[in-house]
Amino acid sequence: MSEIMISLKDIKKSYKSMGDEVQALKGVSLTIGKGESVSVMGHSGSGKSTLLSIIGALNPPSTGTIEIDGIDIYKLSQEKRADFRREYLGFVFQQFQLIPYLTAHENVMLPLTTTKRSNKEKREMAEEALIRVGLGNKIKRLPNQLSGGEQERVAIARAIVNEPPLILADEPTGSLDTKTGDEIMELFQKLNDEGLTVLMVTHNPDNVRYLGRTIMMKDGLLSLTQEDPIKVVTNKIV
Amino acid sequence: MVFLALGLVVGVTTVVAFLNIIQAMKVDLGDRIDEFGANAVILPRSEGVEVHYGGAMVSDLTFDFEKLTVDDIPKIFSSSVAEYINIVSPKLVGAVNINEQKSLLVGVETKKEFTQKPWFSLQQSLADGNAISDLALVDVPEDAIIVGASAAEALKLQVGDQVTINKKTFQVFGILSKLGSEEDGLVYANLTTVQELLNRPGELSMIEVSAYCNACPIEEIVMGLEEAIPHGRGIALRQAALFREETIGQFSTFGYALSGMVLLIAALVVLITMLASVNERTREIGIFRAIGFRQRHILQIIFLEVGIVSVVGGLLGFGLGSLVAKYAGPFLAQLQGDIPLQPELLLPAVLLSTGLAIIVSAYPAIKAAKLNPAEALRFI
Repeated sequence: MSEIMISLKDIKKSYKSMGDEVQALKGVSLTIGKGESVSVMGHSGSGKSTLLSIIGALNPPSTGTIEIDGIDIYKLSQEKRADFRREYLGFVFQQFQLIPYLTAHENVMLPLTTTKRSNKEKREMAEEALIRVGLGNKIKRLPNQLSGGEQERVAIARAIVNEPPLILADEPTGSLDTKTGDEIMELFQKLNDEGLTVLMVTHNPDNVRYLGRTIMMKDGLLSLTQEDPIKVVTNKIV
Repeated sequence: MVFLALGLVVGVTTVVAFLNIIQAMKVDLGDRIDEFGANAVILPRSEGVEVHYGGAMVSDLTFDFEKLTVDDIPKIFSSSVAEYINIVSPKLVGAVNINEQKSLLVGVETKKEFTQKPWFSLQQSLADGNAISDLALVDVPEDAIIVGASAAEALKLQVGDQVTINKKTFQVFGILSKLGSEEDGLVYANLTTVQELLNRPGELSMIEVSAYCNACPIEEIVMGLEEAIPHGRGIALRQAALFREETIGQFSTFGYALSGMVLLIAALVVLITMLASVNERTREIGIFRAIGFRQRHILQIIFLEVGIVSVVGGLLGFGLGSLVAKYAGPFLAQLQGDIPLQPELLLPAVLLSTGLAIIVSAYPAIKAAKLNPAEALRFI
């Protein structure tokens, strides 16, 4: 069994904007092993979100190949890619993105909706995920009845409920205060310790110490790949 | 979804109210037409032959001729179609000499005859010499005649003139307004008087019948009359029936066309609401797709939401439409009496609401399902 979770080979992505062609990614090659935790950092426009959307099977590259757990995901049909996202990936979006009219429990159950499990099993799995993120006592609350940190935990619970091997997080602490942000990063660290592979886009240099590796992006290319998170924290980020 | 429900409720309410009111108006219109003139006539049943000699018709011979009499009239009111009968107007027609000219004298029960034919009016009468528009209300004396406009010209008669018919003296009571039909050439008198004058006591030439056809077609009524009077031959007055059919048909078509337009507007409201809803929920749909929902799952969600809202909309629309028809309908349509409601419209109302909403929502639903999740998530 391969130990590589994510394998990117010369990924390029361009798209048309106002009649001009914009190259978001100019040839990114990268491998991430199973059980790794990796942060992707860089300024706005560096290509981080595009990279995340490509790895998340949402956005096919213009050229290049990408395999996740040995599967060439863009050789799958659109509908099979949806199935792949459901089984292999857990998304944590910017600003939580919970459905406001669903309770915490119902939000976490969403990825299970299209599975063949029984309703009882779905309810139990969702409850377990919420307990795992420390929200077992707030399952009936609506998002507007939860704090920012609690909403983020619900978002993480939603991402892990299907027990995917890979979590993709986009600025998970972007709208949280420092203390709450640290709590969330500790949670990610805990999940990683349990065996999940974590790939996180973040602007916050404080977050990188919770993660094993940092990838820097600049102008659509990788500019730095740091094994040692401490070095990155002490360096000024350009 | 509230606006979607509202659009459907308004659409279904309008259609249900319209259909209830149109149905009541059709019945009312039908009844009014049925009251306007006869729509069937009973003639004596007879067998006849044409006699030909040398290639020319010599005469026609009538045999097995059974007369109609005044005793046949009660049979109409005890027939199987009695409930549909409005007015029965018996007549005896005979040729007489008036002022040395051959004329057709028609014996009628004047009140019934002129109730059946409300378009008859007198341009002049003995009643203060004035015109009379509602002839059915007038008491015509037994020794009076009412003369058609053309007959009065031909016979040089004026109101008040005395004429002798078969040695009996009559006074011209009134002259009818010109009708432009064969009635202009006729002279009307009291039925009993004419029967005596022609020495045909109790006899009738024909019985004109006005029947209500809303619940029963005229052909069935004619059959019922023939069953009641076997020696009579019933004839549906085709023109009356056709006029009725045509008028009600046109009215119904207009009503349904209006209902169709209202439904079209409701459909547009549904479409616009759903497109706006899909737009508003782009981010939500992006999240659903990102976490593994297939396109068909998105379609299922949207159609399920639309289905539930439209069933509720159909039920509410039926209820409100029935209330509007019951309480506002008589005023809006200027109808006397209550508008009978049609509970059988419930299922069609719900099916209409649901069908319309689902069909119209197809485009927005497909648009939502085909949303590129990466594009949708850019809204975040």
